[in-house]
Amino acid sequence: MNARGLRRYLDDLLAGRRPKAFEPNDFEAAQIRTAIELRAARPGGDEPRSEFLTDLQRRLAEQMSDEPPDVPPKHSSTRRQVIVGTSAAAAAAVAAVSIDRAVIGHPGEAPALAGQLTPNDGSWQQVAASSQVPDGRMHPFDLGSLTGFVRRVDGKLEAVSGVCTHQGCRLWFDAPEDRLRCPCHSTSFSPTGHVLTHQLPIAPKPLPTLMVREVDGAIEVLAPPRPDEPA
Amino acid sequence: MTAHHDPVGPRPLRAVPAVPDTGYPDWEAVYQDNVSWLYRTLFARVGNRADAEDLTAEVFLAALRPLRLTASVGEVRAYLRATARTVLAAHWRETLGREITSIEDIEQPPDSEEAISTAPQRVAHVLDRLPDRYRRILELRFLRGNSIKESAAELGTTVANAKVLQHRALRLAAQVNDGGGP
Repeated sequence: MNARGLRRYLDDLLAGRRPKAFEPNDFEAAQIRTAIELRAARPGGDEPRSEFLTDLQRRLAEQMSDEPPDVPPKHSSTRRQVIVGTSAAAAAAVAAVSIDRAVIGHPGEAPALAGQLTPNDGSWQQVAASSQVPDGRMHPFDLGSLTGFVRRVDGKLEAVSGVCTHQGCRLWFDAPEDRLRCPCHSTSFSPTGHVLTHQLPIAPKPLPTLMVREVDGAIEVLAPPRPDEPA
Repeated sequence: MTAHHDPVGPRPLRAVPAVPDTGYPDWEAVYQDNVSWLYRTLFARVGNRADAEDLTAEVFLAALRPLRLTASVGEVRAYLRATARTVLAAHWRETLGREITSIEDIEQPPDSEEAISTAPQRVAHVLDRLPDRYRRILELRFLRGNSIKESAAELGTTVANAKVLQHRALRLAAQVNDGGGP
């Protein structure tokens, strides 16, 4: 019970001052909630001041033009704001998990592909017979050291990694939908490895492509040595 | 948002549009287009300008730098609302040690009136259920922003009585608002 704290809080609220912290009990909290709603219901009372809008835009411009970390900020207050900002952003990233997040696929911005996987001690290893991979069919393979999918498009071979770039769950191919799906967080990738859908705060990377060739009726992928056969 | 939901699905899965929503050209555009509804969303939950301004600034300072401009407008707004939810929760933890108000998960777009504030409807509901003089003192003080002296004069009573009236009216309103009272 803190009658004085409540009275002061309400006086400040009504006077348009910043209310001061105190520890309300349940009923006091309910009264504050109601007071806030009453105050907020005032017609037209919730428009931001133009001075505030201009000033915040200036502060943001300062922040956005900041060189990344090492450069000391011009004002000591800026540093604090940036730190507060960063931690809130991190927290927001967590909070935002419940929301369907920004999905990528904009060709100009993020790299369309994660690049090609080229293992240090790679060797060409057979993943299928040529006959097993007719045009348009997605063929899964597991070499122990590497899992992926290979397919043929207009006669040309393509292969992508079969591991989700978010947390490493193994992808499966949803043939009717023509996409690779992650069983863990509903991420899906196109057969070429682009992210199609996801529910994460930040879009996962596209799938790495694998080097693939066809030799004497066999399809081979450049893969690292098997875990049980170290190079 | 169109009402085309799978009622049993946990979260709708959103597809990357074949032709991507071009989103915003730069952070200034993000700011200009969203600062107003975001401020109003926060004001509705703190009830005073100073806190609403501080929290709005905190949201943008936190959210803009990590924001991907490839995100669509809807995604940017959802992200800003989520950031505001976190910032508001931290504000209550730090000042009153408990969550007084929150930014809910809602179906409506974040910049819609329903998403910004339900205070007007809730207040109307509460005021309707109060005795006449209680309702009037709250209207005079909170909705019209009159001083206690002006309000007392309008009600034809003393300042001391007006204070008592306001005190009791708010207590009753809080009970009604929390679903308890008459």
